[in-house]
Amino acid sequence: MNVVVLAKQVPDAESSIEIKGDGERLEIQQKFATSLFDEFALEEALRIRERHGGRVKVITLGAGKATEILRTGIAMGADETLLLDHAAFLDGDGYATALALSRAVSKAPCDVVLCGKQAVDDDRGEVGPMVAQFLGLPHVGGVVKLDIAEGKASAESLAEAGREVVEVSLPAVFTVQKGLNEPRVAPITGVMKAMKAQIPKAAPEDLGLDPAEVGRAGSKVQVKRYLAPKKRPPVQIIGGEANDAAREAVRILADVERLI
Amino acid sequence: MDFALTEEQEFFKKMITDAVDRMIVPKAPEIDRKDEFPWELWREFGKLGYLGLRYPEEIGGMNADPVTAMIFYEQVSRGSVGFAQSVIMNVLMGTYFIYRFGSEAMKERCLYPAMRGEKVATMCFTEDQSGSDLSATRTTAVKDGSDWVINGTKMWITNGPIADMATVLATTDRSLGAKGLNFFLVEKGTPGFAPGQVLEKMGCRGTVTGELVFDNVRVPEENLLGTEINKGVDYLGEILDEVRVMTGAMALGISQAAFDEGLEYARKRVAFGKPIGSYQLIRAKFADMASEMEASRLMVYYAAWRIKEKLSSRKEAAMAKMFATETCLKVVDEVTRIWGANGFAQEYNPQRHFRDARFLLYGGGTHEILKDFLGRLIIGKT
Amino acid sequence: MQPARQCGFSRTWKGSFRGWLVDTILVFVETKGDAAKKASLELLSEGRKLEQAGRFRMEAVVLGPLPAGLKDRLLSLTETLVHIDDPLLEAYTPEGYAFALAGYAGEAGPKMILAGATQMGRDFMPRVAVLLGCGIVSDVTAAAWEGDPVTFVRPVYGGKVLTEVSCNGFPVIVTTRPNAFGISEEGSRTGNLVERQAGVTADQVHTRIQRADAKPKGKVDLTEADIIVSGGRGLKAAENFRLIEELADAIGGTVGATRSVVDAGWRDQEDQVGKSGKTVSPKLYIAVGISGAIHHIMGMDTSKVVLAVNKDPNAIIFQYANYGIVGDLFEVVPAMTAELKKR
Repeated sequence: MNVVVLAKQVPDAESSIEIKGDGERLEIQQKFATSLFDEFALEEALRIRERHGGRVKVITLGAGKATEILRTGIAMGADETLLLDHAAFLDGDGYATALALSRAVSKAPCDVVLCGKQAVDDDRGEVGPMVAQFLGLPHVGGVVKLDIAEGKASAESLAEAGREVVEVSLPAVFTVQKGLNEPRVAPITGVMKAMKAQIPKAAPEDLGLDPAEVGRAGSKVQVKRYLAPKKRPPVQIIGGEANDAAREAVRILADVERLI
Repeated sequence: MDFALTEEQEFFKKMITDAVDRMIVPKAPEIDRKDEFPWELWREFGKLGYLGLRYPEEIGGMNADPVTAMIFYEQVSRGSVGFAQSVIMNVLMGTYFIYRFGSEAMKERCLYPAMRGEKVATMCFTEDQSGSDLSATRTTAVKDGSDWVINGTKMWITNGPIADMATVLATTDRSLGAKGLNFFLVEKGTPGFAPGQVLEKMGCRGTVTGELVFDNVRVPEENLLGTEINKGVDYLGEILDEVRVMTGAMALGISQAAFDEGLEYARKRVAFGKPIGSYQLIRAKFADMASEMEASRLMVYYAAWRIKEKLSSRKEAAMAKMFATETCLKVVDEVTRIWGANGFAQEYNPQRHFRDARFLLYGGGTHEILKDFLGRLIIGKT
Repeated sequence: MQPARQCGFSRTWKGSFRGWLVDTILVFVETKGDAAKKASLELLSEGRKLEQAGRFRMEAVVLGPLPAGLKDRLLSLTETLVHIDDPLLEAYTPEGYAFALAGYAGEAGPKMILAGATQMGRDFMPRVAVLLGCGIVSDVTAAAWEGDPVTFVRPVYGGKVLTEVSCNGFPVIVTTRPNAFGISEEGSRTGNLVERQAGVTADQVHTRIQRADAKPKGKVDLTEADIIVSGGRGLKAAENFRLIEELADAIGGTVGATRSVVDAGWRDQEDQVGKSGKTVSPKLYIAVGISGAIHHIMGMDTSKVVLAVNKDPNAIIFQYANYGIVGDLFEVVPAMTAELKKR
């Protein structure tokens, strides 16, 4: 069972993000982490290998420091990695990024492709389904339980209508969300291996792509401006005893805000 | 001068920081509150293999250099000092002399299991009447045939009451003072070796500290850890600097934990309509804390680097330990002030850091002793 | 591994060939039983406004089964209703829906394809984009339709920052967050129904529904809810969520939960509001016993009105609320429920 994990390095949840230059750009504190949902994907890949054998490969598209999440993958137990850090790959929209990643995935045969349902920086959620379509594969989104068998898989997701279990033929792409598993802590043997690992890289040409097809150059969606979200006015505290405050709150919501 | 950690060290730091954040930090308040040894966490953490990090890869360790080891000591202490003290005892002091001088059979029985967290190790120096003054050691080791018979009581022993193995400092001849000291390995189950009273501590709660009683404990010749007799103090000198710098690293960890709590509070706590971090006096506190922590950090890692490079480090190690400790005591104090009344509440963390930090004053050498030593070194023979 | 099967229309087709004066927009109408999803109704409403302004003509598209009642309702909301059916579209699959919609889009040549950024919309519309070789803007919270190019606002970093984006090429695929747009009063139209076969073949769909556990009837999904009552650790125990449920019932809202109570096993993952749960945008969000950790805020900060109940006057949640009650939720919440029942 060969599993490929698509992971993205994003700013740490605590990193400060400021809008600069009148909305032209963002200044982001340079502390990074693996995108939350990709951690579940990586852990699931390792569990699949534990149950079925095979190899786990982690691919990331990102600038130089992105090697860190590949090393983290190795520390947790991944067998191989690939880094797409060439400048041409960067700053792409979902389409351009998925195109590059799908070519990277197709370099070797695989049975399962796993990624987080969306990256917690861009929050697009496009790459997973797009990679599947580029590769001509089925996909299941927002998986919370995954059972892999020979040639097919059973995936459970939280559909809006309730829980849904779907059977899909392999190879397939699965985007995962919280609730799937609890990611392991890397043992020191893994950390040591990761510290020494050589990280292979690929440029657009290695994937049979023209630089103009990927990254910012290949994107159709452009960010024109960054804006700050509207701030709420300062809170109005409703005073008084519990019963009085409760009554007043209902009155405000019903008669003033007209929400109920 | 390149003060940066190597890419490998940065990665190691990231991994251990992550492990601490996920496994230790959430449990720290409970470990402190219950003051019980966290066996489950110990085993889970042991499985990761970090406990052997200082020893060679060939025997299951990581060959970590002193700088990398400091990163480890700092992060684990940041997580929970109550847990870190036990961990660090196993990583260094409790196992070093077995690694250095023990027979292969001894290593199989003691060292390797300790590295895996399957056994708990400790080192015993302190006694009721001797702390800084090792020459006043009263625990004796008397040769009897081919065995040694050990008698005495040790106090303030980290992991003591739960230890599977103890490296005991004993004298063969009290009249020789410091020159009569030796290390002996005593294993749990040896008749006459028993845990005594457990001490209830102000801080570092969780780790079990107490008395160890040696009542006519008989051990074979090979349990004298050393190639020569009466060289205990010299052997101790091999790791003395690292133990001091390590204490400095623990101080850094505690400082960081407290500092982070202070920072979050200053950003969110509102007084007079603004977060308190907007006020000059609060800002001044952070400026001072951050500056001194920065200096401590440089001193600790510089001293560790000197040890790594096999340069003389006695002076730097003592300075780093003292400075980082004094800084830590200031930081934990300031943070409880920043937290106001909440700094006094058991419910929150600042009071725990405040209590935990006090052990730094005697662990790794009291400052009174260290200052005397440094002053003597600087001024020279008079 | 095969490269994606192209539908034969994507690469060469450049623009719309019909509606010389007016471009077409397709609105994918997501159905749930015999009702249309809220986000779809919002888009039909926006589409009608654009039609009235003379900028676009709108076609509503339904894939799969279309009950008679819903059909009639939709025909009153749009001039053209395209119903694409096929046994393979009986149940939703990303592949089937993507092929069907992309296939029709290739024929209709729209300038924009709109869908709700519901779980389904966000799941299959990216595939449509690849099939058509076009751009997609996901999870939009506002749009300046009159612009050229049209610009959209979408949140990033969990809503900490908003981005204004535009997309070049045609069509432009857009998914819009539920509650981003209002639903204006419908005029009565008498639309035309156009029936189509999907032209999706069995070898194009490799997914099969095995089991669907439907939620109890009448439960509005958090992402579509107008009113949400959410509970956090302040409730102290799982049983106390009863208070939240009672208030939600009385006020006509859906129950939400924070990450810590989900992790503690008091509520299901599907109730979680937050960065690693659901992002919601109701008209009213009532946060009970919730401290206001940033990952929770990220999931609900676009709510129009927020009322927070917490015993700690310094709780962060009050910085993100319109109204606050500093008090014991065990007294305040039942009192609110009682008051609501009286009205």
